Order: sequence, then structure tokens, then C-alpha cells
Amino acid sequence: MASVHVSNIVKRFGAETIIPGLDLEVRDGEFLVLLGPSGCGKSTLLRMIAGLEVPTSGRIAISGRDVTHMQPKDRDIAMVFQNYALYPHLTIYENIAFPLRVRGMRGAQVDEKVRWAASLVQIENLLDRKPRQTSGGQRQRTALARSLVRDPSVFLLDEPLSNLDAKLRHSAREELRTFQEKVGLTSIYVTHDQVEAMGLGDRIVIMNGGVIRQIGTPEQIYHEPADSFVATFIGSPPMNLVPQGDRQVGFRPENFVPKSQTPAGADVLDVEFRPHRVEFLGSDCLIYGMVGNPFEPAAAVSRIPSTMAFSFERDAAMPFAVETRHVRQFDLKTGLAIGSGAGIDG
Amino acid sequence: MASEPSVRRGDILLAYATLSPAAALLILLAAVPSVFVVMIAFQHIEIGELSGRFVGFQNFLWVLNSREFYAGLWNSFVWVFGSVALEMLIGTALALLLNRAFALRGVARAFVLAPYLIPTVVAVLTWRFMFHDLVGIVNFLLIDSGLTDSPVLWLSDRRYAMLAVIIVGVWKFLPFVVIAILGILQSIPNEQYEAAQIDGASGWQQFWRITLPYILPVFVLTALLRTIWSFNKFDIIFLLTGGGPLNSTTTIPLLIYQKAFDDFDMSRAAAIAVVAFLVMGVLMTFYLLAMKRSEQNQ
Repeated sequence: MASVHVSNIVKRFGAETIIPGLDLEVRDGEFLVLLGPSGCGKSTLLRMIAGLEVPTSGRIAISGRDVTHMQPKDRDIAMVFQNYALYPHLTIYENIAFPLRVRGMRGAQVDEKVRWAASLVQIENLLDRKPRQTSGGQRQRTALARSLVRDPSVFLLDEPLSNLDAKLRHSAREELRTFQEKVGLTSIYVTHDQVEAMGLGDRIVIMNGGVIRQIGTPEQIYHEPADSFVATFIGSPPMNLVPQGDRQVGFRPENFVPKSQTPAGADVLDVEFRPHRVEFLGSDCLIYGMVGNPFEPAAAVSRIPSTMAFSFERDAAMPFAVETRHVRQFDLKTGLAIGSGAGIDG
Repeated sequence: MASEPSVRRGDILLAYATLSPAAALLILLAAVPSVFVVMIAFQHIEIGELSGRFVGFQNFLWVLNSREFYAGLWNSFVWVFGSVALEMLIGTALALLLNRAFALRGVARAFVLAPYLIPTVVAVLTWRFMFHDLVGIVNFLLIDSGLTDSPVLWLSDRRYAMLAVIIVGVWKFLPFVVIAILGILQSIPNEQYEAAQIDGASGWQQFWRITLPYILPVFVLTALLRTIWSFNKFDIIFLLTGGGPLNSTTTIPLLIYQKAFDDFDMSRAAAIAVVAFLVMGVLMTFYLLAMKRSEQNQ
């Protein structure tokens, strides 16, 4: 069990600054997800915690111990790589045994540990196979078993599910989380997939351009985005952002519905909407169109349950509304969130 | 649907049309002469004749009972084993070195690969000059450094001639081994080393447990291929020593040449060639088996 403290960490590659100065605290036993677009520095941050990259300046501590300049092997961490990094010439058994053997462990002790780790991820029956004789999901489990076999105190995962197909990814995500809860390891997980981040993380760290934009629970990140980047990065389709004066007004597509569908007596913001296309997605429908009064014309999307009856005349103005408690506002220049939905003009 | 068979026929015709020039060349330049060699190995041919009296296995019996053939086979063995072993050893070490990041790595790589690009004749004549007992730089350096008092007769002393031939062979074909091993080294995913670092493997353990198993199949294939090519190598030895002194560097290809064009004994030359071909066949089988195994392991 361990906590991780990253203080004022800077990373430059030559003249290029990847991370200009970042602080982060990962709590004991927590599952923390680093989420951001590619090139945002999330993998670099993870690799610095692992010891695979040396920070230009700053300090990294694991359980209070300064590890900034320690070798990876001395940090008591384990890492799962995107392509699993299994050794193709070794059997699954020997792959899992590798960390024990290079540390000089021999005999029955190795066997006991390997079988324990294999049983944790249910691959006991694959131990004699070579990695190429197993499926993507089984390789991913092997990588998990290998990283756990020597009881690390911090568990680092670099997009471990991104090589799996969509269906397998879903079940693997669920298994991974159940598994993490079972072993209670402090885990840092890097991904660019928001669905993975929302589903897995106790807390999510949203990064962009080497800077942390927001840290929070999935609910906080989704409902109270700290700035317009987070608002549009999370959610599919993203939050509607409509300019109004020196601000941007934001509302999620599922909160932007025909006026008749808003709860009676609720405090709502009336918005004129001219739909021009409806997309059927199964459980939901997406309605694409332009908002009007009280805003300047701007593109927006509404998401309604497909069970809701809805008919429209192309580009004809219709009364739509958002409950004011769901309205967010952002500074047009800085993009930062200001207050909540109250005090909107119109 | 109706046009499908004709399209397929068109494809087949195109395939034959594009393959036929290469096939014709191979038949004319390799298959026909090979058959011809096998035929004259069973005949007694006088100089200037294209065919002669059928003598059965007489030429082969001569080959298998001649000291020349076994001396040639021994020389071939020393040449092949000596040069391939050194090429593989030095080539692998150089590849490992060139795979590391250091300043001017690109220049170093180009420098190592240069011998492969120099025409054999030019290279060998330069080496002959360097091995010269009076004006050669090799002897100059040996004497200058105090390693020897008098010049070493590299190409005319039978104790050193084979060593000189091997040195030139290794120098010339080292780049091939470096390219092959460097290629496979670069294909090892970096994550494998990173995972090993986190697992606590030392540099030495990483080499034994990751690098070596990765390069082994290519190492074996390259060594076999170099063995086959070296066994057939003619130009370097012919240009450097001509097989001498006192036949101390006469390998099988040189022996075949001497029998055919110095002694004008085409029949016996052909018989040696056929036996050499059988030896090559055995080596080739090993090569193909190794290739199949490495493909299965991928």
C-alpha cells in the first residue's frame, strides 16, 4: 500500500517542454486515471513515476520516500504496457516468473508465487503456452499477473486495454476494476478513452498540454467541468458551448430538450432551436440544429430518449429549454468556469 | 460472372509472361550448365571436346581417392569455419555496439558497411598491397610496434596465407552480418527492456534473457547462409593467393578451377563440382530446416 506525491515536476525534451510544472497526489489504494488527448504528457508523467524517464526538475515520492533519481527496480512499482511487453520466447509461466528469477528467487517459492498470480487473473490453464498461442485478452491478463507476482506497492498501467477489440475491452475493464478492488493496490492508469476513464477511476486527472486541467470524481468532471476544454473533452457528443457576450454558455445535449419535456415548475432557460437532422442511436436520438434566441445562432445538439415522440420541420424554430441548474458558464477568453447557471441573460 | 474465367486466364498469362524471362535466364545460365557438368562427370573428355566416352563412376572414384580433393576439402573447412566464426562473432559485437545511441552513430554505421560496397577486385588488390613484405602497411605496423623483427610473408608463407585470406574475407563480409543482426536488434520492442528494468533485470540479464533469444534465429540463419556462400567463394582467394603457396589456400572452388583450366581435365573438375554440389545440398537442407523453424516460431 502506498501513496504517490509528484511535486513541481518539469520535463523537457531538448527545447520542447512537455510538462511545465505539475503537482499531483495519488492516495493510498486509489485508482487514479490520467486522461487526455495524445501528446498531453500523461504517458510521460507515468513514465517518470515509473523511473523510465528522468524529470528535468521536481520531486517524486512514493510512500514518503524520495524516488526521483532511483532506478525503476528500486521503486517497488509494477507496470503494464500497452503492448504487454511479454517475452515471446518464454512460456506464460516463465513470463510471470521473470521478475522473481531476475531477483534471484528459485524453486518452490517461484512456483507458488507464479500459480498464485496466475489464479488471480484465471490463466492457470495457459501456463505452458507461448504468448503467441494466446488471445489478446489472455496476454493482457498475463501482463497483469507478471506485474503483480512480486507484490508491488504501486501499479502503473499505460493504456493496457487499447489493443483489445471493443467487446473484449468492456469485459476486461470490468475485470480490471474488480481485480484492483480485490488487491487494493494504489493504481495509476493512463488512457485517452473517456469511457474507460469514467468507468475505472476513483478520480480522474484531465491533462492537456502538459498541464492538469481538472482533478475530480467522474461525476464532478462530467457535471462541473473546470473549463471549456474539460467540458468538450468529456461527453459524447460533448457539451454544447454557445457564445454570449464575454462568456460561453454550456449545456449537455441530454439536458437540452423540447420545452414540453422539462419538469413542470422547474426553473428553465428557454432556447429557440431549429433542428435540421435526427440521428437514431438505438436507446437515444441525437438532434442536430442551430440555437437562436436568446443566443446568437450557433450549432448545438440535443439528446433525447428514442422513446420520446418527436417530429420536426426542417430548420423551423421550436421551443427547447435547459433547466438552469444544468447550465454552465465559461469565460470566453480564459475558458475557465464561472459560477453556476444563475444570472444568465435572457 | 461470365467474364470471371477470362480474367483469371488473363492473370495466369500475365504471371507466366512476367516469370518467363527470369526462368529462361535461370535455365540457360544455371540449369543447362549444371546438367552438362553432371553429364561430363561421367565421361572422359579430352581438351577442346564437348563430349567423350562414358566411363561410369571412374572420375568420382578418382576424386574420392585423391589427396588433392581431401586437401581442398580441409582448406575449405578451415576457410569457411574460420571466416564465418569470426564474422559472426565480430559482426554481432559490432551490431550490438551500433544499436546503442551515441554521437555520430550514423557515420559509424556507414563506415562499418563500407567494405561491402567496394568491388572485390579493388578491395583484394589493395589488401595485397597492404600485405606486401617490403612496402605493406601491415608489416610496417608489426615491425614498428615491435611485435616482429622481420616482415611476415603473409601471402607467400604457407603458415600465414590462409590467415591472410580469412582476414580479407572477414573484412569484406562482416557488413552483411552487421546488417542482419542490427536489423533484428532494432525490431526488439523497447518496452521489453523497460519491463525488464522495472522487474529488476540487470543489463547482463537483459542481454541473456531478451536480446540473445531474440537474435538467435537470425544469427543461425545468417551463419548458415554465410557458410554456404563462403564454401562457394572463389574471387577473394583467387585474387589474393591464387590457391598458393603450395596449394595451402586451394579450396574446393579453386581446385575445380585448377583442374579445369590449368590441367584441362574437365571430367575430373566436373566430378569434384558434383561432389561439392552434394556437400552444398546438405548445408542447404540445414538452412531450409532452420528457416522453417524460425518461421514457425514467429
